[in-house]
Amino acid sequence: MENAKDTFYVTLRNRLAVLNPNRVMMLRGLQRPGILMEEAEVVVPQMPTDAFVLRWTGLDVDGQLPSALAQMTCEMHYTTGGTQPNAGLDRGRALEEMDAELFSILSPSCAQKINYTQTPAVAMATKVFWGIPQFSSASSQRERLTRIAKIAVFAFQEQGEL
Amino acid sequence: MSISAVTNYVSLPTVHRRVRAYFAPVNRVLQMPAIFDPSQTGQFSLDSPPAPWIDLGWIENFTRKSTSSIGSLNSGVSSVAQYQVREAVGATVSLRFKTWSKLTMALAAGSQHMNLIQSASGSAANGSGARGIGAVVVQPGSISTSIVLNAGDLESFSAGCMVAVDVDYTGQTGFVGSGVSAAYVQGATAVNNDPDYIRRVSFNVARVSEVSANGLQLAQPLLAGAPVSGMKVQPISGFVDREGGSFFQEWSAVFVMPGEQSERVIFHYPRLQAMQGAEESTDTLAAPLERVSLNASFRALPVTDSNDGEQVVCFRSFLPGSATLI
Repeated sequence: MENAKDTFYVTLRNRLAVLNPNRVMMLRGLQRPGILMEEAEVVVPQMPTDAFVLRWTGLDVDGQLPSALAQMTCEMHYTTGGTQPNAGLDRGRALEEMDAELFSILSPSCAQKINYTQTPAVAMATKVFWGIPQFSSASSQRERLTRIAKIAVFAFQEQGEL
Repeated sequence: MSISAVTNYVSLPTVHRRVRAYFAPVNRVLQMPAIFDPSQTGQFSLDSPPAPWIDLGWIENFTRKSTSSIGSLNSGVSSVAQYQVREAVGATVSLRFKTWSKLTMALAAGSQHMNLIQSASGSAANGSGARGIGAVVVQPGSISTSIVLNAGDLESFSAGCMVAVDVDYTGQTGFVGSGVSAAYVQGATAVNNDPDYIRRVSFNVARVSEVSANGLQLAQPLLAGAPVSGMKVQPISGFVDREGGSFFQEWSAVFVMPGEQSERVIFHYPRLQAMQGAEESTDTLAAPLERVSLNASFRALPVTDSNDGEQVVCFRSFLPGSATLI
């Protein structure tokens, strides 16, 4: 499943970098596109604002097929307090902007699976594909608005994959 | 970053998420359906189908049924099947169009589908539209997306209006309509010798995006292509179909199921005729809001496959993905 998870993350990261080059964050001293995979970063007490945080939760595997089909649930968490020049009064607009960006970078809903554990990375035989996002209600905590979008991500397990 | 490719061929099930529909008119005069050849154009871009196919977008509730029947020839004292015979060949296909348009509405209705020509002042009320205002002559130099008009003929048109473009009815009998056989006229009296009748049923319609000093710029190309000499244009306000009517439209259709591993399943019905009247269904968005879809149901009619002379009603093609064992 790791190749599928990596592929999904890198695909969205690259698409986000093209769609909105201004959505960036500082992570481990480097400026990067504003999207990260939570399980691959150090634990922090609070999620970063104005960035997308991928959290992998559910897993189902259909082993009755010629190639096992894994269905993983990706939760995309994002939160914003708006912008300082507007004293946070634009936090609704900022959240809507992230909603639209997420919807946009999820299309097209597939990507060639790539093994990034090798150098150079290796394109695999199958594609990772995913469904449409299920957006939760926005929650409000002090000056911050937060939303979670759930996406079902599918991948066939190829020879040699875990 | 460079990426090398390693292909381990595997056996994969086909997974798809939706079906896209393409239709093309059957030439009723010559009895020639549009033929889709998957060996030549099977991998066409879904957003730009090859001519003459018209993209009608993603559809839902796509259901195919074979109505073919196979019987057995039995023999012996305890009757045992010895041979099989194909007793009937047939198929139906049903679907829902998500959007309403001239084409989707007409396909779902299956009979004459009419344009509501902007009515002339004082004309008598009629269920499928009253007598229209005068049509104006399309001038030379017009193309499928631009209609040249005399400056004095522009007053009936404005940006955003819709128009029908076709020839006058002058006593023709048989199939009428440019680009698509839109109706069958038995005689002039049946259509009241109405000069607007062909424009009333024509599929050669479009929305006007801009009115200039020279004529009309269209937001979409006319289905029949560049207007020919003798065509006239009239503003329309919408469309109407009826429960009833004696005419059967006939269309060729291609349905594409794009798989998630780049495979493609294609269903080609060279000849489809509607097998039900106009009907809608709804999906509740959030009560009381409902999305209204057009239900369509077709019966497939036969063509002869020139490869072996067999009469068939549908072709199902499978173009495997690059990683799939076949």
